[in-house]
This record gives sequence, structure tokens and C-alpha cells, in this order.
Amino acid sequence: MSNQLRVRLVTPERTLFDHAADSVLLPAKNGFMEVLYGHTPLLAELGAGDVTVHTADGDTRLNVNWGFVEVLPDRVTILANDALKPEEIDIPRAEKQLDRGLEDWKKAGESEEAFNEALRVISEAEAKIASAGGTIKSH
Amino acid sequence: MANVLDLRRRIRSVKNTRQITKAMKMVSAAKLRRAQERALAARPYARMITSVLQSLKRRVDIFDEKTGNLAHPLFLTRPEKRILLIVVSGDKGFAGAFNSNIAKIAFQFIAGNGDKQIDIEAVGKKSRDAFRRRYAEAVYTEKADEHGTVRNIRDPRKSEVELTGDHPGMLLNLQARRVEELAESIISRYVHEEIDAAYIVYNEFKSVISQRLVVEKILPLIEVGKQQITGAVEPTEAEKERTAEAALSAGIQLEAADSTEEEAKKFGTAQVDYLYEQKPEELYAGLLPKYIFSMLYHAMTESVAAEHAARMTAMDSASNNASDMIDSLTLVMNRVRQAKITTEIIEIVSGAAAL
Repeated sequence: MSNQLRVRLVTPERTLFDHAADSVLLPAKNGFMEVLYGHTPLLAELGAGDVTVHTADGDTRLNVNWGFVEVLPDRVTILANDALKPEEIDIPRAEKQLDRGLEDWKKAGESEEAFNEALRVISEAEAKIASAGGTIKSH
Repeated sequence: MANVLDLRRRIRSVKNTRQITKAMKMVSAAKLRRAQERALAARPYARMITSVLQSLKRRVDIFDEKTGNLAHPLFLTRPEKRILLIVVSGDKGFAGAFNSNIAKIAFQFIAGNGDKQIDIEAVGKKSRDAFRRRYAEAVYTEKADEHGTVRNIRDPRKSEVELTGDHPGMLLNLQARRVEELAESIISRYVHEEIDAAYIVYNEFKSVISQRLVVEKILPLIEVGKQQITGAVEPTEAEKERTAEAALSAGIQLEAADSTEEEAKKFGTAQVDYLYEQKPEELYAGLLPKYIFSMLYHAMTESVAAEHAARMTAMDSASNNASDMIDSLTLVMNRVRQAKITTEIIEIVSGAAAL
């Protein structure tokens, strides 16, 4: 097959996805980006969010948390810390994580480190809930 | 001489024991297979991190102009005065000399660095128990710092060797998240200059016939992608043979199949100029902790596999010993029974002759 990207998603525990695709949508740290066949080589850090892979037989959505991506003209390799299929996400647990993040955020005070850590937890939890199709409670 | 009934009872009890050890061996073999799979599944990630770091290093100017070293705190080498030792052992016994060998190496390491302050981080219940008996635990008290945030501040140490943390059960259900937390805590201690070096003691398990106990230096980093092994104990030929025998009888392949390696090596190493989403330095700084994490995770997955292999071998030996014991007991029992029959015949014959 020509003009197809080979997309691979690797986590420390398993290789979650390894398939040909038309395009892939990535949650980079500074915003989403879409990669098509023939993209310039690129290295980027990933944030928390959904990776969407478009293939001829439909889309595959996977929730990833932090990692790195290497884009080559015909190959995309995603190195994620943690990746879940939407159906594997445990919403109550993600909500608990969100509460914990908010709690930390309030307690962070002036410590930048604690503040960033709390933000990280919050965005991770929010991405999980959104990807599983849950609604985020207002806070 | 024991009578036939007693011997029969003993044989039955040894048979029961053999059944248990056989079952344990099969369970360990199944767990070993799974642990091997997991160790293999973890390899592409580790390999990719290493490749991308190596390739970033080649093309990005992240060297300190003054020293020529890589400008990252994890590459800074200081005189080793305070050492962190991570000991990865098993959570359960019945694995032959597995746990005691690890403890022995760890104690040797501590004895060899007697003039330095050593912190111990014990992974696995067995090593924790061994260290708790010998060394004091570090005491932390909560204190507020100048910003008003409460932090755990360590009390002045009471002895040269202290236990700073233990992680029982981490290996029973190995989760990347928990290993990452440990990695983060180690990195933060190194960056804050609480420790000058970090070593890890674990069982390296490439395959059933290729395993050894190693002491590996994980911090400071000298060169990415190169293991800094400072000490290793290879098993003897006889031990290797025993393991191979046990593995064969349990239906386990001696060499694990590995196909992902080649592909993974190419990650991030294409001979082109990459576009960087972030500053390369930022990428580099983000990747380094992942590298430390992958080293730790690697050590733990391998150690789990080695533990199951050790248990499998130990249980195989136990089953064999039980079989030997049953054989010799059966022999004795038959002799006793024959002797009894002979005596009875002699009695009858001499009784008849007396008539």
C-alpha cells in the first residue's frame, strides 16, 4: 500500500497499536497536530489526550499520557508513558484522580514544582474522562 | 527395624510432598513464561528511548562549554560519599538460593564501601526483611519550609547505613506507574544532591540459560545506552545445567524469541534533520528521566523472570529428591517385607520338622 503511514504506539508494558493508517492526530504538548504521509521528520513531546488514527476501515482512538513521538515521512512511532483504549478507562478512578489533582493544586501555594505536578495530574485525569466519554463535573 | 506399615505411611507422605512441589514447579513455569513475555514487551520501549537519546546527543549542542560534559544534572559526577543502593529481590521464598544470593551481594557491596554513607531502597519483601534486621530505618519528620509548604525532612542519620524505603509487593503486580514513582524519587534525590551515586543489585535474565546477578550503576549517567556493570556473579555450569533441565521438563524454551529489536533500534535515528516541536534541550531533559525509568523497569521485569526461574529450578530439584527418597524407601520396605515372609516360612518349616 502506498501513501500509508505505519503507526506504532509503544508503552513500557506493551505495544498497543501497530498498523497502517492514512493519518494520525497527536496531542503534542503545545497543541494537537495531524500527521499525513510524507510529513517532515519531527520529534515532539506529547501531552495528555487522545491519539486518533484514521484508517480505511475507520478510526481508532487511544488515550495517551505523556511521551514522545517520532514522525518520519512513512512512519510514526509514539512512545507513551501510559496508553489506554477508551473502553479500558475507569471513569470513577479518573474522577478521583481529578479530585486529587485539584486538591494538590489548592495546596501547591508558591511552590512551582508542586503546582506543575498538580496541573499534570489534572490534565491527565481530564483527558481520560473526556476520552471515555464522561462529562467533567464543574468545579 | 521399622515395620512395613510405618514405611508405607512415610512413602505416602513423601508422595504428597512431591505432588505439591510438582504443582509449584508448573505454576512457576507458567509465571516464568508470562514474566518473559513481559520482559520482552518492555524491550522496544527501552531500546527506543536509548536510540533517540543517542541520536539527539549527536545532533544537538547540549554540551556545557566549560566542562565539555553534557549539560544535565544527571550527568554530573561528584565524589561518591553518599550512595543509594537499590536491591531487587523476591517477595516470596521457596526459590532456592535466589534471595540469599542477592542479600549476599548487597552485603558485600556495603562492606566494600564501608567508608561511605549508604541508603538502601529495598524492592521485594525478602530483601527488606534481611535489611531491617541489620540496619536502622531513616526517620523523616514533617517540617514547613520558608514558603509554608510542609515537607518531609530527614532526621540526622544514626548510622552509616540506613533503609530509606521499601516496596513490598511491587514485583507481584508490576506496574509501570509505581516504578516510575521510584525513578522520580531517585532522580530528585540525585538532583538535590542527597546522593552522589545510585547502584542497583538485581538478577539479569536474558533467557533461561543466560542469567547472572549484577551490580549496575545507574547514576550518574556516563554514556547513554551503555550498562555500567560494576560487579557480576555468573551461575556455575552445574547450576546452569540444572536450570536448563528444569526448563525443558516444564516445556519452556531456552532462548526467548525476540523480533522487535531491530525495528526499535531505528527509533529517532534517521539521518535527517528533525523538526523539533520543543527545544531539543527540553526534549532531552524530558527523555532522560524516562531512560532512568526504563533501566529500573528493565531490572525489575528481569528480576521477576529470574525469580520464577529460580523457583522452578528449586521445585524441580525438590521433586527429583522426593522421587529418589520414594525409591529408597520402597526398597527398604520391600526388604523388610521379604525378611518378614522369610522368617514366617522358616517358622512354619521348622514347626513342621519338629512334628
